Amino acid sequence: MKDEKIRIGVYICECGPNIKEAMDVNEIAEFIRGFENVVLTKPFHLLCSEEGKTLIEKDIKEYQLTNIVLAACSPKEHEITFRKVLRNAGLNPFLLQIANIREQCAWVIKDKALATQKAKAMIAAAVKRVAYHEPLETKEIQCHSDVLVVGAGVAGISAALTLAQKNRKVYLVEKLPCIGGKVARYEKVFPSLECASCVLDPLLDEVLHNEHIELIAFSEIEEVLGFYGNFIVKVRKKARFVDSTTCIGCGACSEACPVKIKNEYNEGLDNRKAIYIPYPGALPHVAVIDGKHCLHLQGKECNACQDACPFGSIRYEDTDQIQELEVGAIVLATGFDIFDPKKVSRYGYGKIKNVYTSLEFERLLNSTGPTEGKILLKNGQPPKRIGLIHCVGSRTKKYHEYCSGICCMYSLKFSHLIKEQLPDSSITEFYSDFCLPGRESQSFFKKLADKKGVNFIQVKNIDSVELKKKDNTILVKYRDINGKIKGRSFDLVILSVALEAARNARELAEIFDISQDKDGFFLEEHTNIAPVSTSVGGIFIAGCAHGPKDIQGAVAEGQAAAGRILSKLIPGEKLSLEPITAEVDEDLCSGCKTCISLCPYKALTYDQKKKTVSVNEVLCRGCGICVATCPGAAIKARHFTDKQIVAEIKGLLQR
Amino acid sequence: MNSFEPKIIAFLCNWCSYECADSVGRAQKEYPSNLRVVRVMCSGRVDPQFVIKAFKEDAEGIMILGCHAGECHYKEGNYQALRRYILLKKMLAQFGIEGGRLRLHWVSASEGDKFVTIVSEMVRDLKKLGPLLLRDMER
Repeated sequence: MKDEKIRIGVYICECGPNIKEAMDVNEIAEFIRGFENVVLTKPFHLLCSEEGKTLIEKDIKEYQLTNIVLAACSPKEHEITFRKVLRNAGLNPFLLQIANIREQCAWVIKDKALATQKAKAMIAAAVKRVAYHEPLETKEIQCHSDVLVVGAGVAGISAALTLAQKNRKVYLVEKLPCIGGKVARYEKVFPSLECASCVLDPLLDEVLHNEHIELIAFSEIEEVLGFYGNFIVKVRKKARFVDSTTCIGCGACSEACPVKIKNEYNEGLDNRKAIYIPYPGALPHVAVIDGKHCLHLQGKECNACQDACPFGSIRYEDTDQIQELEVGAIVLATGFDIFDPKKVSRYGYGKIKNVYTSLEFERLLNSTGPTEGKILLKNGQPPKRIGLIHCVGSRTKKYHEYCSGICCMYSLKFSHLIKEQLPDSSITEFYSDFCLPGRESQSFFKKLADKKGVNFIQVKNIDSVELKKKDNTILVKYRDINGKIKGRSFDLVILSVALEAARNARELAEIFDISQDKDGFFLEEHTNIAPVSTSVGGIFIAGCAHGPKDIQGAVAEGQAAAGRILSKLIPGEKLSLEPITAEVDEDLCSGCKTCISLCPYKALTYDQKKKTVSVNEVLCRGCGICVATCPGAAIKARHFTDKQIVAEIKGLLQR
Repeated sequence: MNSFEPKIIAFLCNWCSYECADSVGRAQKEYPSNLRVVRVMCSGRVDPQFVIKAFKEDAEGIMILGCHAGECHYKEGNYQALRRYILLKKMLAQFGIEGGRLRLHWVSASEGDKFVTIVSEMVRDLKKLGPLLLRDMER
């Protein structure tokens, strides 16, 4: 393509001796000089030096260069550097093409003649390509700086508080009527054995009283539309049937309520009423009516709670409400569920008395739990012999192949706490391997191992452990490390169950359009370098929704997600968009929609009125999948257009 | 003696295989000079027409290198590349273009040795196949 308006400057970097000695730079320069549109060709000893950059800038102005080709190191090394040089000289930074003659030529071809030949082809390709380059602009969009945090466990709360510190408006949506997540149900936390509510309650109070945080409890996300900077979220606020502004949580209503149902907040170990406060101290401390079980709401004659309430707070006529939020970013901190050991019949869970999951045992230890913190058997007596089984549902092909990472530590915590309360008890931990990474875990283990009456039995395979009812005790049968079958009897057995993806994880992934890993946890953008972002711009993940982790890890992720948002989504500032995106030519688009289903980011939408597809430039990442797919060549990949690539191919193959 | 030096156009995705080619360079591992690289953001960007065009412009072989399954920077662009590759191979056979002239491989940024091996193998095989006769029809 000969074009008088195109004036290309070609610079060949010798990169000290790196390129110079590997090929004949002068021969290459001579070859390129004859090319169409090339105004000047200069070999230079080191283009990335200040001297080199100044030379290019000066030449652009002096020779009115319109496009630049650099034959140098990989564009991954210095493309950004030289784009800045172009910008400084008043050229659009995208009017640059780099031929990678160092990493992909000088350093991999020993024969000088062959290297020279290949470099010629590479530079010829760049010269042909750059003639088709178009100036691209970094566009900016207006955005909301408010943030939605879903899930008010430690991860979500940490994100919300970090955001609120910078006066950012946060909508904190929680599915349950109370906040604090799983941690609020623990008595003590490892490795310090600090009281959980001492750690958590100040944070919960701050959430409730922070003017920048709007808590929307007992609510679920229904729909999410939009993109980074401009999400529209529909939240279903479930009917509480209690006026939370006047209820003070005195509990008179629960006392009066005649209905008893299993209390899910105590893992079903005791009962609650149809109007209830999840547990003493639950925040916000407001009653809620369970509509499925309330006699009045089921159409029966009962006004017991209404009659009992001294504040007139009962609202039987309450209905679900839909609240619409406009936010710029979203943090998903929706937590985990535990593995159901009923799936493994050999544990006898649900059939043998006094076999508990770890979460049930947390409630037994908790002063707000069914036994007010006393470790008791079903018969009301304290246990003498306690067994703990590690890896229930973890590290087994049948259930979860992953290690849940925290079970060893919480099992050790249990033993510490049991010994504190029942010093004469005998404890046995059955494990196949210990997972105790981190600064404090080993000493936590050592302190326990030094105590009397604490035994550790390594079993050959955790799947060999079997629980049997024997008289009034529980017999744990196992294969020891040598493969011998052995048995021990206990009064109480705790199953250290795996953490798994929350039961509603799939539903949430669909609503937010993010990916899950094979176990259902939300998938991060990059395991190592983008651990809290997702493949959807503006949606971040934190805590156990993203994979099993301890409190420290969950808090760190919540704060990290908040940090990512605070650094990019700034009130009053516009969001800059990636300029390399797809572009639809509406005149060519037939509206066949083939591209829509292939876009990994849902960046393409069909316009019913125009009957064509359009690209959302905020969502588009510029991969070009749609471009290659379009049967009508109606989509252009900016900076990787068909014309540019074909010109490059022709240049590379020139004889 | 075979003095025929085939030209290979290789479409390398920006994230895995292009990065791999750079790391092979940094490690100064030698491989045949026959390779001519076109950088694309994703292997899913490789339009079948680029392949046909490259054959028409005298390429003797074409490689499409992308990220491993499940590792695509754009989630699933490499699967699109795979689908197109399978169809394209069938079509190329109808034109008398041997199957070995179009290859698709998954190469991560760290698989430098694999990169060198697949390039060397392709050059070796193309030398056996000889020049592509397609272009003679135009002459």
